[in-house]
Amino acid sequence: MDENISLDALLTAVQFEATDTELAIESSITRRKFLGACSAGLTALLIPGPDAWAYGDVPHPSPRPGITGKNVLTKEQLGKTPKLIPLFDSVREIPEVLDGIRCNCGCTDAPVLRSLLSCYEGKGMARDCFICQGQARLAVRLHKEGKSLADIRTAIDAKFG
Amino acid sequence: MIIRIAALAALAVPCLLSAQVRASEAGTVSQMIDGTKITIEYSRPRARGRSTLFGTKAVHWNETWTPGANWATTLDVNKNVKLNGKPVAKGKYSVWMVVRQNGNWTVVLDPESHIYHMNPPDSSSTQVRIPVHVEAVPFTEVLTWSMPDIRMNGGTLAMQWERARVAMNVEVEPSLAMTLPSSDATPYLGRYKWVEKDSATAKDSVVSEVAITHESGTLRGRFTPEDKYLKKFALIRVAPDWLAVGVYDEKGDIYEVLKPDMVFEFARANGVITGFAVRDSDDNVWAKGTRIR
Repeated sequence: MDENISLDALLTAVQFEATDTELAIESSITRRKFLGACSAGLTALLIPGPDAWAYGDVPHPSPRPGITGKNVLTKEQLGKTPKLIPLFDSVREIPEVLDGIRCNCGCTDAPVLRSLLSCYEGKGMARDCFICQGQARLAVRLHKEGKSLADIRTAIDAKFG
Repeated sequence: MIIRIAALAALAVPCLLSAQVRASEAGTVSQMIDGTKITIEYSRPRARGRSTLFGTKAVHWNETWTPGANWATTLDVNKNVKLNGKPVAKGKYSVWMVVRQNGNWTVVLDPESHIYHMNPPDSSSTQVRIPVHVEAVPFTEVLTWSMPDIRMNGGTLAMQWERARVAMNVEVEPSLAMTLPSSDATPYLGRYKWVEKDSATAKDSVVSEVAITHESGTLRGRFTPEDKYLKKFALIRVAPDWLAVGVYDEKGDIYEVLKPDMVFEFARANGVITGFAVRDSDDNVWAKGTRIR
């Protein structure tokens, strides 16, 4: 896999693919409500702490050979957050991608959390972290669009770094 | 004897921090600005009844003095910055000031960060030396470092004690370029139909227009009818065809970039921009635009 693909090559290739149906499903808030949420609370929730702001300088981890999604939390373990079951299921399907991504919320600075995949295992800290969730959703989407790990890393850095 | 006691007390700081009453308590000021972390660590001397400090035995004129106490005050920056226009490479420095009765003082940043206050460094080419204006202010009992002003690309770093205040303009390296060359901006210019779903009705109840223009080197958007919050907003390129919204304050300065909260992902057909999807931090499309012209 070519991990040195240019940003241009990736992101000029990302096309707007949301259909009206997708829009109807995905877009459920108005601009005003959205912006209100941004200015009031969402932004604060996304800020993990002052020491976790400079992760763009930290390289992405290399995916472990043979990594599987067997440790990703299951629906039985997500009883309190059923809305996240589809996301965890999607993550379980592409462990080789998620294991190659640094989490920009700062959690992977801890030795026990080596990659974004780790956030969906064990205690499942992604259940409470919007950054982890957003990064994984973006990774899942781009993977479905056929993007490489290098492409996905570049996109995540652009949006979350 | 006093000096010896003071030195021994200072050496004991690390193990006594949790339970020691000190004449100059340890303090820290830390500020993040666009990914640059600026930290001042210092001991905070108090005036303790002394109405005048500068020009006395406490701080002699023309002395190279650390604006703190015990071990020299330190400045730590995790990225390159500029102080009053002077480049300061990332790293940790001890901070000194040459105090003068008349005229500017000189802030001295020495790359040797761990120096006791009684041993000011000699002038050297490795130091950063910054002339600073001293202003008279109301009496301040405890020596105080602060960052009272923060902007998108910098702020003010100030030290205040007795009736003296020294302030330095801090410039950080911006993480994003706010401007876009005309040749890069041109493909995005035009008017777009804006559609978003109302959460209550699940219908396209909000339909407006957004016009994208290129003004003073910056891509800007404006809704019709006007959006009360965004009014005119900046579009800042975070990746090719991905542009995040920058929010202006009343003075026309960008004070927040809504990344990852509000990123326009433009689409092209045969190289021509046809529209965009606006995605939030959760990667949901919550609005989309279609080029009108």
